[in-house]
Amino acid sequence: MTAPSTNTAKPATGIPALLKTAFTNALVALVLFSLMVGIRTEAGSSGQLTYWTRFGELASLVGVVFGGSIVIELFRQWIGPSGAERLVPPAVHSGMAFVGRFLAPALLIFALLVPVIFYDQRYILDLGILVLTYVMLGWGLNVVVGLAGLLDLGYVAFYAVGAYSYGLIATNFGWSFWVCLPLAGILAACWGVLLGFPVLRLRGDYLAIVTLAFGEIIRLVIINWQELTGGPNGVPGIPRPTLFGIPLDNSDDGLAAKLGIEYSSTHRIVFLFYLILALALLTNWVTIRLRRLPIGRAWEALREDEVACRALGINTTTTKLTAFATGAMFGGFAGAFFATRQGFISPESFTFQESALVLAIVVLGGMGSQLGVALAALTMIGGFELFRGLETYRMLVFGMAMVLIMIWRPRGLIGHRAPTVYLTKAQAISSDLVKEGHG
Amino acid sequence: MTSAPTPLLAIRGLRAAYGKIEALKGVDVEINAGEIVALIGANGAGKSTLMMTIFGKPRARAGRILYDGRDITGVPTHEIAHLRIAQSPEGRRIFPRMSVAENLQMGADSTGCTDAEREAMLQRVFTLFPRLKERYAQRGGTLSGGEQQMLAIGRALMSRPRLLLLDEPSLGLAPLIARQIFDAIRTLNRQDGLTVLIVEQNANHALKLAHRGYVMVNGLITLAGTGSELLQRPEIRAAYLEGGRHG
Repeated sequence: MTAPSTNTAKPATGIPALLKTAFTNALVALVLFSLMVGIRTEAGSSGQLTYWTRFGELASLVGVVFGGSIVIELFRQWIGPSGAERLVPPAVHSGMAFVGRFLAPALLIFALLVPVIFYDQRYILDLGILVLTYVMLGWGLNVVVGLAGLLDLGYVAFYAVGAYSYGLIATNFGWSFWVCLPLAGILAACWGVLLGFPVLRLRGDYLAIVTLAFGEIIRLVIINWQELTGGPNGVPGIPRPTLFGIPLDNSDDGLAAKLGIEYSSTHRIVFLFYLILALALLTNWVTIRLRRLPIGRAWEALREDEVACRALGINTTTTKLTAFATGAMFGGFAGAFFATRQGFISPESFTFQESALVLAIVVLGGMGSQLGVALAALTMIGGFELFRGLETYRMLVFGMAMVLIMIWRPRGLIGHRAPTVYLTKAQAISSDLVKEGHG
Repeated sequence: MTSAPTPLLAIRGLRAAYGKIEALKGVDVEINAGEIVALIGANGAGKSTLMMTIFGKPRARAGRILYDGRDITGVPTHEIAHLRIAQSPEGRRIFPRMSVAENLQMGADSTGCTDAEREAMLQRVFTLFPRLKERYAQRGGTLSGGEQQMLAIGRALMSRPRLLLLDEPSLGLAPLIARQIFDAIRTLNRQDGLTVLIVEQNANHALKLAHRGYVMVNGLITLAGTGSELLQRPEIRAAYLEGGRHG
């Protein structure tokens, strides 16, 4: 975009320059690796130092660096100097816009059809349920992190509260899933407010640390409060969900018997799939609605500038607490769903890793973008499965893919945000004037 | 200039501090309805602190702030904005990732006005700052400094205030743009009867614009008078205008 980028790209043209760069890199590699790889030391049998040289490995490493830097340099020249405008031809641009407009509806229709297309593939259905669970968690956390800008590293706490709320109420009192679901949401929201109060004055790193601690506290309480939660043994025998009172099992008053069709265990999986899809869509719908209301705009304004918010008469206390409570509530719903799907919950399911994964989904998706979060959940969870064949190298490849995505799209998959206030008349005028680049 | 029996805003013996550092040491300021009052002074004199103390952050240690006869010294910050006092804070502080439209809407959100009132105010802002209409769908962060200042003032106006507090509206702006901003403030005062308290480093501009002015030094008001009076004072000229004239 700016002049310096073209300057830096210029000298690297031509084969001599190419070889020079590669040679320099190889030299650096030689110096670095000569001791690290070239000489291997070990303690001998009687404690003395034994060492031997590994020049073969060293030579191959230096060779890889030499060849690799030529490839990278060529690749760089092929892409051309940085600056997205030149990279992407206008035809591709309009094509992307076309795809962008229809991507969300297409994804939705696909999601609705998944149980029909993959009815016989239990694995795909389970994976779909897993992806949708994370889509929902991502959308829930998106309210807190993406919209309100409150970095929450302990989101799994609300997931756990929701799961244990449903698990404990259902096993102890026998209440149905549909009664427990809102209860789990409300309880999680209460915990959200409880977390919100002490951290009202905190932002950024400090807030992240406290929320991280909060997530751990919830997990430790669950482990140690054995009389209530069963401790590390978890809560077994959580009832499966029913279709408004009709169980989805092989009994005489089960759904299959009532409809007069043959029972199949897939019915329950399909039901769970649509259940989590409905819950996720509810989360999405509520978030989209809230964004257009003053409270949603206040969340976003809070992310941008807290001082300005106060000057504009926004009560920052209630704004933050509602953001925490709303995000926590959706986490609670997802937790209740998790409990009913698994039929068994234990503290192991609610570790920091889950929080980190959900946060990664939100960041990767582009903070605040609903579609981005859905795509990121699909990428992350689907990616985990896709690379399963690589076994030991799975995390390595996956990590590299993540790094590449963040280099390629530093603001997340979908970095722009949809405006919430329109002026239909002025829209056309303004887009013309934007291009002139005045001011 | 209308001379109301009680001033719209009366500040009496106001003290405020950040920790142990006292920023306001007993300030008395009066602003009548329909006036433009300028508050000038050097860096660190306490001008911005006074502005923020009116909004309850930091809280006043002593003294009283009377708005329209009502004591608002202890009122929470967000409620003060509901009393039709608006503030355009120092450094503009617009919401950079939100569009111009949303920034303006944020100003109107907390006041609970009707759609018609909001629309009327929006049109008024557009008349004052046509640039904002051109930039309506753009992100706030992509505006130039001058446009951002217009947006900050426009956003404050969207709450339909009676009293507008402006903190350094000309900060970092080209002289021509600064003049546009000052012209808009004058228009608002004359045509809409808006009362304005303006804090400025640019003493020359501010005192020409204002009906009355206060000079602040080290947390105290040292001089007060009409704008033209203050402009003539040799000590003002020496302290704030010499070498800095561009009017």
